[in-house]
Amino acid sequence: MSCNPSFGGIGKGHLMREVDALDGLCCRICDQSGVHYKVLNRRKGPAVWGLRAQIDRKLYKQNMQKEILNTPLLTVQEGAVEDLILTEPEPEHTGKYRVSGVVLVDGSTVYAESVVLTTGTFLRGMIVIGLEMHPAGRLGDQPSIGLARTLEKLGFVVGRLKTGTPPRIAKESINFSILNKQTPDNPSIPFSFINETVWIKPEDQLPCYLTHTNPQVDEIVLENLHLNCHVKETTRGPRYCPSIESKVLRFPNRIHQVWLEPEGMDSDLIYPQGLSVTLPAELQEKMITCIRGLEKAKMIQPGYGVQYDYLDPRQITPSLETHLVQRLFFAGQINGTTGYEEAAAQGVIAGINASLRVRHKPPFVISRTEGYIGVLIDDLTTLGTNEPYRMFTSRAEFRLSLRPDNADSRLTFRGYKEAGCVSQQRYERATWMKSSLEEGISVLKSIEFSSSKWKNLIPEASISSGKSLPLRALDVLKYEEVDIELLAKAVPEPLKEYTRCRELAERLKIEATYESVLFHQQQEIKEVQRDEALQLPKDLDYLTLRDVSLSREVREKLHFSRPQTIGAASRIPGVTPAAIINLLRFVKTTQQRQAAMDRLPQTDQRLCNTDKLEDRQL
Amino acid sequence: MWRGLWTLVARPARGPRSPRPCTRQGSGAPAPGSGATIFALSSGQGRCGIAVIRTSGPASGQALRSLTAPRDLPPARKACLRLLSDPRSEEPLDRALVLWFPGPQSFTGEDCAEFHVHGGPAVVSGVLQALGSVPGLRPAEAGEFTRRAFAHGKLSLTEVEGLADLIHAETEAQRRQALRQLDGELSHLCRGWAETLTKALAHVEAYIDFGEDDNLEEGVLDQGGSAWGVGGGDIWHLSPQRPPYSLSFPPSTADSEVRELEVALGAHLRDARRGQRLRSGAHVVVAGPPNAGKSSLVNLLSRKPVSIVSPEPGTTRDVLETPVDLAGFPALLSDTAGLREGVGPVEQEGVRRAQKRLEQADLILAVLDASDLASASSCNFLDTVVIPAGAGSPNGSSQRLLLVLNKSDLLPAGGPDPSPDLPPHLLLSCLTGEGLDGFLEALRKELAALCGDPSTGPPLLTRARHQHHLQGCLDALGHYKQAKDLALAAEALRVARGHLTRITGGGGTEEILDIIFRDFCVGK
Repeated sequence: MSCNPSFGGIGKGHLMREVDALDGLCCRICDQSGVHYKVLNRRKGPAVWGLRAQIDRKLYKQNMQKEILNTPLLTVQEGAVEDLILTEPEPEHTGKYRVSGVVLVDGSTVYAESVVLTTGTFLRGMIVIGLEMHPAGRLGDQPSIGLARTLEKLGFVVGRLKTGTPPRIAKESINFSILNKQTPDNPSIPFSFINETVWIKPEDQLPCYLTHTNPQVDEIVLENLHLNCHVKETTRGPRYCPSIESKVLRFPNRIHQVWLEPEGMDSDLIYPQGLSVTLPAELQEKMITCIRGLEKAKMIQPGYGVQYDYLDPRQITPSLETHLVQRLFFAGQINGTTGYEEAAAQGVIAGINASLRVRHKPPFVISRTEGYIGVLIDDLTTLGTNEPYRMFTSRAEFRLSLRPDNADSRLTFRGYKEAGCVSQQRYERATWMKSSLEEGISVLKSIEFSSSKWKNLIPEASISSGKSLPLRALDVLKYEEVDIELLAKAVPEPLKEYTRCRELAERLKIEATYESVLFHQQQEIKEVQRDEALQLPKDLDYLTLRDVSLSREVREKLHFSRPQTIGAASRIPGVTPAAIINLLRFVKTTQQRQAAMDRLPQTDQRLCNTDKLEDRQL
Repeated sequence: MWRGLWTLVARPARGPRSPRPCTRQGSGAPAPGSGATIFALSSGQGRCGIAVIRTSGPASGQALRSLTAPRDLPPARKACLRLLSDPRSEEPLDRALVLWFPGPQSFTGEDCAEFHVHGGPAVVSGVLQALGSVPGLRPAEAGEFTRRAFAHGKLSLTEVEGLADLIHAETEAQRRQALRQLDGELSHLCRGWAETLTKALAHVEAYIDFGEDDNLEEGVLDQGGSAWGVGGGDIWHLSPQRPPYSLSFPPSTADSEVRELEVALGAHLRDARRGQRLRSGAHVVVAGPPNAGKSSLVNLLSRKPVSIVSPEPGTTRDVLETPVDLAGFPALLSDTAGLREGVGPVEQEGVRRAQKRLEQADLILAVLDASDLASASSCNFLDTVVIPAGAGSPNGSSQRLLLVLNKSDLLPAGGPDPSPDLPPHLLLSCLTGEGLDGFLEALRKELAALCGDPSTGPPLLTRARHQHHLQGCLDALGHYKQAKDLALAAEALRVARGHLTRITGGGGTEEILDIIFRDFCVGK
């Protein structure tokens, strides 16, 4: 964790639950390392709840290292990668080269069947404070220059992005007594599906505090723009994680919030969220001390900006393997994203696919209709990005289906069967949950009374007794003020059973809330999935393809993004409906030709393929 | 975005002759998981002898039965004569040949129905609207029939060669059609509505995604213009936990704008009865003071003696209706009693009826005696009927008025205009026929504006699509109001916006994000 001392948030919490559903580590480690757990958006609907926690940096590092070092069969070696070892490509796959290992900075080599690059902000990383710039991946670490050169030489399209981090302040120098205090949730909601609680009781957790900027801050920023080269640069920074300088410039004469967040249980550092800044250090200190509560604050480490290389993510497939180099996978900031959660989401997919690739198994791809991970990767690989990409819930078109509560039922089974990345324990828990939910819903559907009877049974609920049709228990559960507990008091048999597991009770309530809308969304999801089941041949050379009539512009777009399905192709801006129809026709002829070829040796091959495709739609 | 792209895999390339797993004799109930049923006018636009309207999809049988109730489905692939009526109003539409093609032996491979109706625009529009009201049916997108046929292996690859060109052409034609239609009033409205919705949605999405995580700053929210956070009628009274200040959401701006939009859309859908007018005819009411020559005008227009004409004022005492074809438009022409006070009870009842009819009129032909403009009854009529209509009626309806000065033969020949102070008007002599051509041309223009000109105006199919999407938008806004949580509310707005953007084009997630980042200072 090299920037903010927190995990999760809105959209980001969704990604974490999906990572956890695939048995990625970050949720479990966060449940052991948090110091302030709070679910955001509590009152805006369960589809947009955002699990979030302040995390103790030191604990997170310790717990993560313990977990990794204790993973069986895993060898860990530390060292900066300087170059890639390349060999001849495998003829049955696309790509100009194939990676077979890496060269470390000390000249030693590590051979590997596949390689995942997660370079963070290190590729030609450059740190900026005031007018000073020096090469570094983050404060105190050398950047990666040789690797950046190698990638560029191979022909990857490289871009440049920037981000920033705020100064750190000594905890004991802050006057918290005059600031607004925020307390954590009670009880704490764990991140991981396999945990029922977190490691720490709510009363032992640390509070956060809120303060604000003022016109003096604006003044210091505006008077010293000439001392601030990070702000002047044309490199794209995130619109949604702006530095205090860009906030002052874009929204003048405003007061901005600054959250004072603890860095850990026994850390004496405070992270002032919202105060990312690249002024010269002495001006940063001056700016901090004019903020309420920070009048006597001591700055321990200045804030700084980072500029770094990323590679246009349209150069990778949805399994995160590069088009150019076989068995080379990219994940995280190298693909233009920002945030731990976005990185974790790509990490788990790249890891799974790096392993599947070696075992000659088909890639593990998550569709937009299955998860936020799918939305993230599809957006990156079909649209690319020119600013640090961050997840929002508004990016997901099927937001009501892709909820934090049901990530396990969406992904755990696929992870278990197709990728082999899910533990037996998690698989069994997900299986139990799924069957309990299905049973619970059908029981709730089967209990029917008149609305007046329901009103008598549950006087708390605002059921209108005018309706003559009988109401199902599931319909009653839709009322805001009704939960399983209340229903079970009214109809103890057979509903009492469903109050025993808190998670099950909560999930039944959520399913009831969204039942009617989900039915319509399912129809739309099916339409999208049909298009995604139509695979485009991987080795298609769009630039020279003769049999398909396509415009030059469309050819270039397809050539660069190399969409894997008709669905993905149709999402690329500038690819016209007519082009899609032409591609469709092409796919169909190819399929028919292929089928005819296959029929010669074994007649039932086509049937098998068809069955597989139909399976995927379910 | 490329919606409803039909796929090959959905039904793997079975040859047309291979047997279906179960023979469905058009059970009518849409098969679960199958696509929507589409309909469209398959023959050319405009007036023609016979027009063919086609449906394809699982609800085709249902559609055919709904329009031909109480009769059952006709035998497969046999032309039958049926009375078509609107399933909602049971109003008869046309006597038509209908054909029933159960899939897979049909053009698209799905269940199909064909309606061969009389080619008048009123009939075609009526049948299209009736089909649009059948659950599970929606207007077809460009090239969708062909695409479905292709998807089901009904077209050989050589036949498909031209498909892309065809779809390109159709898309182009639709774009031009849409442009033509969007050039006018509807364009203005639709764009405005879509903008309102995008903005409202951006505000709600900003609140969901950034309200608590990234300390969306409440000061910035004020920029929206109107005051936030007061609205006692808001659905949500939330005080988000992260920023200790209540942002009081949803933005009351979003809320009130949506409410306004709902009213506007509802009014538009109720008011834009152009298709309706074409079918039943525009209501044209002839009104004026007694003895101005209203009945003469009615007789002239209908080319038959509908009303008794006499020099005596108050000859017509009741409302007389006659259906006429005016310049190619069906119209219902009403002759009314001359408007005056202080007469006997029978004539007074006639005056009351005339006034009532005036309120319902789509077009008023206001008739005055050109030689008697100074009389009390003429002035009174000008003040109470002509001037208010010209100023636009208070309830915002689209009542039109054409002022006719009759008996121009009584004016001195070649004299100056008798009434330069009057609103725009036409001179006419029902007796000599002088000025009739000019009057008919003015009438045609008015009716074209009312009914939509079938030869150059917006194609009926486009109109059916518009109505379909506008109604869908309105329904979704209804869900927005009822939504219990913000995620559901946003979903309703997304659906509503989706319908509008299918009329106007555009509408990606980026557009929403752009507004969010432009209007709000979000960020840690």
